[in-house]
Amino acid sequence: MATDVFAAIDLGSYELEMKIYEMSQKKGVKQIDHVRHRIDLGTETYATGQISAYHMDELIRILTDYNKIMEGYGVTRYQAYATSALRETRDNDTVLELLRQRTGIEIDIISNSEQRFLDYKSVALNNERFFKFLEKPTAIVDVGGGSIQISLFDNDTLVTTQQLRLGVLRLYSTMQHIQPPHSKYPMLVRELVESQLNVFAKMHLKDRKVENVILLDDYVSPVLQRVNLGMDEKSYASARVFVDYIGTLAGKSLTDTAKKLGLAQDNIMLMYVSGLLLSNILSVLNAETIWAPGGTLCDGIAFEYAERKRFLRSSHNFEQDIVACAQNISRRYMGSKSRSETLQTIALNIFDSMKKIHGLTKRDRLLLQICTILHDCGKYISMVNLGDCSYNIIMSTEIIGLSHLERSIVANVVRFNHDDFEYYKDGGYRFHGIDHDAYLTIAKLTAILRIANGLDRTHKQKFKNVKVAVKDKELEITVDTMADISLEKGLFGQRGGFFEQVYGLRPVIRQKRF
Amino acid sequence: MSAKKKIETVSNKINFYNDEYYINRELSWLQFNSRCLSEAKDKATPLFEKLKFLSITASNLDEFFMVRVASLKDMINAGYKKPDIAGMSPKEQLDKVTEAVHEFQNEQYRVYNHMLLQELADNGIQIVREYDKLNSEEADYIDRYFDDFVYPVLTPMAYDSSRPFPLIRNKTLNIGALVKGKESNEMEFAMVQVPSVLPRIMEIPEVSGVRKIMLLEQIIQRNIRKLFLNYDIVCCYPFRVGRNADLSIDEDEAEDLLKEIEKQLKRRQWGQAIRLEIEKGFDKRLLKILTDELKVEQREIYTIDGPLDLTFLMKMYGIEGFDYLKEHGYNSPAPVIQLPSDRDIFECIREGDILMHHPYESFDPVVRFVEAAASDPAVLAIKQTLYRVSGNSPIIAALAKAADNGKQVSVLVELKARFDEENNIVWAKMLEKAGCHVIYGLKGLKTHSKITLVVRKEEDGIMRYVHLATGNYNDSTAKLYTDVGMFTCAEAYGEDATAVFNMLSGYSEPAVWNKLTLAPLWLKDRVLDLIKREADHARNGEPAHIIAKMNSICHKDVIAALYEASSAGVKIDLIVRGICCLKTGIPGVSENINVRSIVGNFLEHSRIFYFENGGSPEYYASSADWMPRNLERRVEIMFPVENPGLREKLWHILDTELHDNVKAHIMNKEGQYVKVAKRGDLINSQKIFGKEATELSKPKNIAESRVFEPEYRDDHGL
Repeated sequence: MATDVFAAIDLGSYELEMKIYEMSQKKGVKQIDHVRHRIDLGTETYATGQISAYHMDELIRILTDYNKIMEGYGVTRYQAYATSALRETRDNDTVLELLRQRTGIEIDIISNSEQRFLDYKSVALNNERFFKFLEKPTAIVDVGGGSIQISLFDNDTLVTTQQLRLGVLRLYSTMQHIQPPHSKYPMLVRELVESQLNVFAKMHLKDRKVENVILLDDYVSPVLQRVNLGMDEKSYASARVFVDYIGTLAGKSLTDTAKKLGLAQDNIMLMYVSGLLLSNILSVLNAETIWAPGGTLCDGIAFEYAERKRFLRSSHNFEQDIVACAQNISRRYMGSKSRSETLQTIALNIFDSMKKIHGLTKRDRLLLQICTILHDCGKYISMVNLGDCSYNIIMSTEIIGLSHLERSIVANVVRFNHDDFEYYKDGGYRFHGIDHDAYLTIAKLTAILRIANGLDRTHKQKFKNVKVAVKDKELEITVDTMADISLEKGLFGQRGGFFEQVYGLRPVIRQKRF
Repeated sequence: MSAKKKIETVSNKINFYNDEYYINRELSWLQFNSRCLSEAKDKATPLFEKLKFLSITASNLDEFFMVRVASLKDMINAGYKKPDIAGMSPKEQLDKVTEAVHEFQNEQYRVYNHMLLQELADNGIQIVREYDKLNSEEADYIDRYFDDFVYPVLTPMAYDSSRPFPLIRNKTLNIGALVKGKESNEMEFAMVQVPSVLPRIMEIPEVSGVRKIMLLEQIIQRNIRKLFLNYDIVCCYPFRVGRNADLSIDEDEAEDLLKEIEKQLKRRQWGQAIRLEIEKGFDKRLLKILTDELKVEQREIYTIDGPLDLTFLMKMYGIEGFDYLKEHGYNSPAPVIQLPSDRDIFECIREGDILMHHPYESFDPVVRFVEAAASDPAVLAIKQTLYRVSGNSPIIAALAKAADNGKQVSVLVELKARFDEENNIVWAKMLEKAGCHVIYGLKGLKTHSKITLVVRKEEDGIMRYVHLATGNYNDSTAKLYTDVGMFTCAEAYGEDATAVFNMLSGYSEPAVWNKLTLAPLWLKDRVLDLIKREADHARNGEPAHIIAKMNSICHKDVIAALYEASSAGVKIDLIVRGICCLKTGIPGVSENINVRSIVGNFLEHSRIFYFENGGSPEYYASSADWMPRNLERRVEIMFPVENPGLREKLWHILDTELHDNVKAHIMNKEGQYVKVAKRGDLINSQKIFGKEATELSKPKNIAESRVFEPEYRDDHGL
């Protein structure tokens, strides 16, 4: 049957959510069930790093039930992700194993950047509206419990994304410490968030203009679904009217507001805090229109699965977002665009001609591409400690869409492009969290990057046209150039050694003069 | 109350919440019981149906005492003073109710003595009045019966200084006696309960051409001396005690009352006697003992001219040989033409939404729906809410079978359904054993909604089939109650149905509802909005008309909204079988409102709502009445009916009932119900619906039918 029934589970910091989808080539992706259970794990794990036995029991009970619901629909595949609450749990391996054993559901923990990327993909499920909205300069504001993520778009490509520790639960618990009357909330929230938002604006916004804001959150979105705020269509709002509306809430009973809007009473304070937070963000961004598509992480998970299984084809290239993000980081550290482009051409060329030999995936190709883009970011700090500095910059910069492991791979590959290769056994702290497979990927990508780098030793982009072919035990690199390449040829052997060690192929340069 | 103030200011200074515009709900209920009684008086009602109606009024009254009068007593005991919808304090209510019940009971026995007994005699049946006047053959038979069957199960009890006053159980019939020791002169109280394990009525073998019926208490009275051998019987009379026996507070009461009573728990008198029924001519000395011991007030003593507890008349209905005195004008349920039994039910539903009107149309398809789902290999899951089911329910059996077949079965069983609890627990456990996921109700809420969801994996994906109804999944009552039910597989309903069951399983509410409106969270506001929208239409000079059919209406906000709509010019027709706290014909308030009540052969139970909506009408059906308990303390569903054909059917139901001139009563300006003046053709809506359904289910053309249908002698199922 050409129909898949897919379940996506999101073990969030205050809710355990599951959505069931039906997917087929003909009908695309259709949501058929949506189950949510409130469970406040965040407060506990942020504070103690543990999940109490009480909550574990509850998780087991609900996940068992979810498993039954999945059975009830004949679900063929599922994907379960846990986010910050589990990330911050110290013994998360045992927690996940226990849940697997007791409920049969395997849960993976995803990093913030992966999570945000999926959130972002959830919007893309609304294909047409999404791209129409992107026609104008747009920012995605993703409000989570612990932090928020602001991503900026330029011509429908993601250019930068920053995490700020201004999550709504975090703000709310701060407010609970102070216990102000709710008329004082607007001022206090502003004071709490203003400085960070200003820094963000200064660093990343510069003179960029943002007209549209896509809002991803759990509390304000339902409000936009219910009240018209200056726009004809529900779920859209004029930023100005929205800010005014939130302003008026200071003088109203929130209980009445909740009743009027049909919102859950216990969420109303979080809605208020989110609304104030968003008001501040909107004024910093100077945005005009808000759109709250109301998607959740589960939609992103489903989108990813559907894309992979080709139930869905998006005209938007999400990989390009990751690349653009990397480019933006490179620009920030004054990387050379033309150099990395040459490097990229050569490296990917080599990668593609060795498909049968290296056994790497399309995803690894993307990582290689990112390595070429970020290959020299460390020089911004130090020309001497280039490897180390690059490594550190990459490790502390979020690249949306990459998992922590993937980021670690990229950082190590870039490091070994400059420094000596470290073997797995004697790897230091930088191999922390790198498993055996990832190590091999590092080695393979490093070998390719080093060759590519060697071909452009002088950074003068001497090689306009490079052809790569595997012949017997050689990797034949034919270059079209009139320039003198004796330096490259001379130093090539050094770099070729590592390549040969990894692939069992000797790289050779042949010059073709035209 | 903020809503109260708002309306006061909005509408030309008329306070639609004015207490005078409302009828107390207990008194309104008693009016309903009088309407039932009027069926027993109606000349057109066959004799045995009259017996049935009279019996129903008696059992209704028993329940009324146990629940409502008990509740008023609770309030008074707790010192609760909050006035009711009509501004009456609990004490005032109890005064009025007591007075009305006395009157009502007199009327019951007037009907019994002056109408029914005579009519029974005309038909050769006699209910023995004086137990000591039997001829010797009869006496012989009865006394032997006493010795062989009655005597062994009797437990006579005496009361004196060494023995405490015996416990007299709620609603039981007892015989009290004054006895005197053979050697002493002192009189003592003794009593014996009339056993409920034996039939209340006993037919004496016919000797004189008249069929004589004797009541069990009379048989015992005849032989009472055999129970107290060492005593002389001074006198003996039957009596009956009604107690405040409900352990839980009636859900109809406000929450603050519950709190109040909790606070005063100690002052609550469990099992307090609130009604003492005695036969006319009851011995004064005996009565004194009873009133002293039971601590009943004078007005709580009901002196009855005839046999106590008229529910025995229902047993009379069952005696053989009087079929010609029963009603046969109502057709038995007809098959639903859209759902022929030889076709796949899911396929039929896929062809379009189907609306069934029970009992005119058979309830079988609903049972078949669950049964088919249980054995259909494509079905993945079945989910259902069950409120009251029949004993030996085929639905329960089907659900258990489905679980056995590996389907995922979730059932919400409402254990709090009044008086049904034990019954429910038994089969709920059985379902659990069979592997069903059983939810035993929700904390603090009764689940009254009637919804079934079947999830099926079909070639082009998951399909959801939904059944929504106004009546319970009870195949027995479905033959007696009028209800509507709808089958649909439209996606919007399916999504909502899934969301309903998610909420019932304790998960969060969905982001949006497509079609359904649920109580207690949204329904009340939705109803108010619909009424207000109609008022707005009227103010704008657009067509505005509300027709609402339900069992009871007593929610003050809803009634006030109706008043406001009426004063804005909305035409409002209410078809309310039971309690109606709304008054018609109040100048400036409810002149545009008509209230009619249909009490007939079947129990009117469907809730159907029509809103004209400025020319684009909307139709709804619901499990909920417009009562506080339904809108605020129960899980209920209201669903729209959108298919034009089905709307036509609903319209026909409402329209025909609005023209009923046989079984309909209309509320007049004094708030009393009077029978509709019969002009032109007689329209008995229940009969018409039955005929139509039968007509419709016949094959259009006999020649087209490939199967010959043998005809049998019509002997009314005997």
